[in-house]
Amino acid sequence: MTDAAPAIFVALEASAWGNTIRQSTWLYMAANVGHILSLVVFASGIAVIDLRMAGMLAATAPGQILKVFRRVVGIGFLGLLVTGSILFTAEASHVITNPMFQFKLALIALGLLNITWFEFFTAPKVRDYPPLKALPPEAKTAGIVSLAIWFVVAAVGRSIAYF
Amino acid sequence: MKRTLVVLTIGAALTGAAFAHHGWGSYDAAKPVTVTGPILAAKYENPHATINVKGSDKEWTVTLAPTFRMTNRGATADIIAVGKTVVAFGYPSTVEKDEMRAERITIDGKTYEMR
Repeated sequence: MTDAAPAIFVALEASAWGNTIRQSTWLYMAANVGHILSLVVFASGIAVIDLRMAGMLAATAPGQILKVFRRVVGIGFLGLLVTGSILFTAEASHVITNPMFQFKLALIALGLLNITWFEFFTAPKVRDYPPLKALPPEAKTAGIVSLAIWFVVAAVGRSIAYF
Repeated sequence: MKRTLVVLTIGAALTGAAFAHHGWGSYDAAKPVTVTGPILAAKYENPHATINVKGSDKEWTVTLAPTFRMTNRGATADIIAVGKTVVAFGYPSTVEKDEMRAERITIDGKTYEMR
């Protein structure tokens, strides 16, 4: 426990739930494994959508790719959120002051901002494009930016343990 | 615009925050220590169990392993108990004062690998 952290995170770590996670035989480990599995699901969906937007898999209908893999991304993200909050709660006061975790949070915010922008302004435009029709440059940019952000998020996430 | 934003975010995130002490990188493998003494306090917790040991020179905080691994290897909570004498071989932290990370510990004549 570190008092350098904002009181709310100190309280979260000290809570009964935090204690349960730390004392658990399997819950913490399951959350650790589940976090990786969720990342694999999330990243696979992200990769398919982003590569399609970047211009690969051009013979597929963008609307269908979006419809199917948006769901994969959603399930993966939900899993990441649940397992991540378990891992976070166990050491909240330490993790919140960790520079890599702060970097990761900022990047996640940026990634979600990119997704929101894409969903509101780009996806409605390209949804009805037929296969092989070139997508607008903004779709390509969104895809490449998204891929880059989520790759760095994964790398920075693993780095939390070393800083 | 987006690139500027990324650079700014990285800069902001890296400035001013304190460094924690996880991973093996922040332990000095060139200066192994053996701490022998009674266990004064024990936390059998995730992500790593820790014990406080009254060594001959000072009181050490000894970082052990994930509890799931320790349980699998027989180093259960009732083995790592307050009052027992432990021999802990490991490496001193280069960040935290009086903290070390154990490579292995011996309690009641039995040695448990932590790595």
